[in-house]
Amino acid sequence: MSRSGWITVAACALVLLALDVLLPRVLNPYYATIVIRIGIAVIAAVSLQLVNGFTGQFSIGHAGFMAVGAYVSAAFSVYVGAGWLEAFAAVLPGPLARVAYYPMALAAGGVAAAVAGLVVGIPALRLRGDYLAIATLGFAEVIRIAILNVDAVGGARGFSVAAADHPGADLRFEGFGTVYAVALVTIVVISRLVYSSGGLSFRAVREDEVAAASIGVPATRVKVEAFVVASFFAGVAGALFAHSEGYVHTNSFAFLRSFELVVFVVLGGLGSITGAVLAAAVLTAAPELLRGLGEWRMVLYSLLLIVTMLVRPQGLLGTRELGFDWLRRRLG
Amino acid sequence: MALLEIENLTVRFGGLTSISKLDLAVESGAIVALIGPNGAGKTTAFNVVTGVYEPTEGSVRFEGRQIGGRPPHAISQLGIARTFQNVRLFRGLTAIENVRAALAAARRSGSADVLRPPRWRRREAELNEQARSLLERLGLAREADAAAGGLPYGEQRLLEIARAIATRPRLLLLDEPAAGMNPSEKQALRELVARLREEFGLSIVLIEHDVRFVMDLCERVTVLDHGEKIAEGPPDTVRRDPRVIEAYLGTGGGAA
Ligand SMILES: Nc1ncnc2c1ncn2[C@@H]1O[C@H](COP(=O)(O)OP(=O)(O)OP(=O)(O)O)[C@@H](O)[C@H]1O
Ligand SMILES: [Mg+2]
Repeated sequence: MSRSGWITVAACALVLLALDVLLPRVLNPYYATIVIRIGIAVIAAVSLQLVNGFTGQFSIGHAGFMAVGAYVSAAFSVYVGAGWLEAFAAVLPGPLARVAYYPMALAAGGVAAAVAGLVVGIPALRLRGDYLAIATLGFAEVIRIAILNVDAVGGARGFSVAAADHPGADLRFEGFGTVYAVALVTIVVISRLVYSSGGLSFRAVREDEVAAASIGVPATRVKVEAFVVASFFAGVAGALFAHSEGYVHTNSFAFLRSFELVVFVVLGGLGSITGAVLAAAVLTAAPELLRGLGEWRMVLYSLLLIVTMLVRPQGLLGTRELGFDWLRRRLG
Repeated sequence: MALLEIENLTVRFGGLTSISKLDLAVESGAIVALIGPNGAGKTTAFNVVTGVYEPTEGSVRFEGRQIGGRPPHAISQLGIARTFQNVRLFRGLTAIENVRAALAAARRSGSADVLRPPRWRRREAELNEQARSLLERLGLAREADAAAGGLPYGEQRLLEIARAIATRPRLLLLDEPAAGMNPSEKQALRELVARLREEFGLSIVLIEHDVRFVMDLCERVTVLDHGEKIAEGPPDTVRRDPRVIEAYLGTGGGAA
C-alpha cells in the first residue's frame, strides 16, 4: 500500500476508535442499537449488491446466509470461543482481548456462510434464468426450519450468546468500531473487486452472458465467485448481529429480512455500492423511527418499491456511485 | 496443417438439420468468406466453432487441437474471437470498459484486485493504455467513455470488433460485419478488415450475403445452402457457379 493509503487506514481507525468511545456516551441505548443495525444492514446490502446488482443474478434468500453466519458464530463463541476469550482476558487488557478474539468469531460465521453459498451456488448458477431465486428462497427457508430443530442452538427458543461456564468471557460486543470497521472493509473489498479491469467480468456477465463467454469470461465461475463472496459477508453480518444483540432467533432471518435486503439494493440502484449503503441506512432507520407502523412496514416497502419503479426505475443512484471518484482516490 | 479444420460437421436441432457434412479449412493468415442465403447455417457454423453449440457429428480442430464441444470461454482463451450478427455489446458499460473487459477476462485475480499491489497498478495502467490504442485504431477514440449501448449502430459493430481483437485471437470470426452499412461504409470496413489482418496477424472468416462485398477482400469463398456446402473457391469462380446463382435466385435473395 502507498503512503497515502496507510494514512487513510490510520485516519479511519482513529475515527472508528473515537466513535467507539464517544457514541455510547452521547446516544441512548435505543439509538445506539439502531446505529449498529444500520452498520449490519449496510454489510448485508453491499454484499447482495455484488450478486444482484453487479453480476445480474437474482438472489432472494440472503438472510439465509446471515442466519448461517449468526448461528455458527454464536455456537462457536458459546461452545469453543468463550474459553479462549476468557484465557485472552486473563493476560490481556479487556479491549485487546476482544480485538484478538472477535475476528475469529466473525470469520467462523463468514466461512460457514461462504461454504453454504458454494453448496447452493454451484448447482443453481450453472443454469441460466431464475433458478438462483428459487434455490436461495428455498435454502433460506430450509435453514430456518433446520435451525428451529437443533437443540444445541436453542431451537424455537432462540439462542443466547453467553457461556455460563466461562464467567470471564463477555461474548457480547456492541462496539460501533467493530461493526463499522467491518462495514468499511466490506465496502472497500467489494468495490475494489468490481471496479477493476478483472472485475469487469462481473458486469460483463450481467450485461450479456453469451458475449461474456465469447471474450473468455468463465461465466459460471464468475457467478459462483460473486455468490460465495457475498455469502461470506452476509455470514459476517449475521455474526455481528448475533454478538451485538446477544441473542438470536430465526425470526430475524425470515423471508421478510431477505426481501428487505433486495429492496435495499433495488432501491439504491442495482450496480451502485453507495446506493445500497444509502438505502440500507435510510430504510433501516426510518421504520425504527416510525415505530407504531408495525406490520405496515411491509406495505410501506412495497409502496416504496412500486413508486421507485415508476419514478426511478434505475433506483436512487442507478449504476452511479456517490462521490466515488473521491473515495477511490483515497482508498485506491 | 490448416489453422481451423472442420471435418464432416453435422449440426441438428431436433429434426432440423442446420449443417450437414460440412468440410471447411482455414489456412493461417487467410481471409475467407462464408456466404449463403438466409437460414443456410452460416451463423450455426460460427456457433459450433466458438462452443455455443456442440457438433452433432464431425470434428472441429483449431491449431490441431480438438475443440468441438468445449465451453465458449475456453475456446476464446485458445485464440478464437467473434462478433455477433445481432451485435452483443455490454451495453451498460462504456466503450473502453467493453475493451478492457476483454483484455482482462482471461487473467483475472480477485486477490490482486482487492489488495492492489504496485504490480496491479502497473498492469491496470497498461490495460487502459492498450484499450485506448485499440479504440484509436478502430476510429473510436472519441467514444471511449460513452455508453456502448448509446453508440450509433455502425460504431457498435466496430466496437464489437475491437472487443474481439482485445482477446488477442489468432482467428477472428465476423458475422455479417457490413450489415446495414451503405456502400462507402462498406468500402471503409473492407479496408479496415484487411488492415487488421496485417496489424494483428489474424486469420479471418467473415459471413456475408453479398458476394460483391467479399470479391477483392477474400481469397476464398465457401457457399452454404440448406446446411450444405454447394461451392468453394476463389470469389470470381464462385459467383459464376450455376448452383450458387440458383441458390440465391431460388430464395429470392438476389445478391450474387
Ligand atoms: N438454437 C437453434 N435451435 C433450433 N434451430 C436453430 C437454432 N439455431 C439455428 N437454427 C436453425 O438453423 C438454421 C440455420 O440457421 P443460421 O442462423 O445458422 O442461418 P444463417 O445462415 O446464419 O442465416 P442468416 O443469413 O439469416 O443469418 C435455421 O433454420 C435456423 O432456424
Ligand atoms: Mg446468421
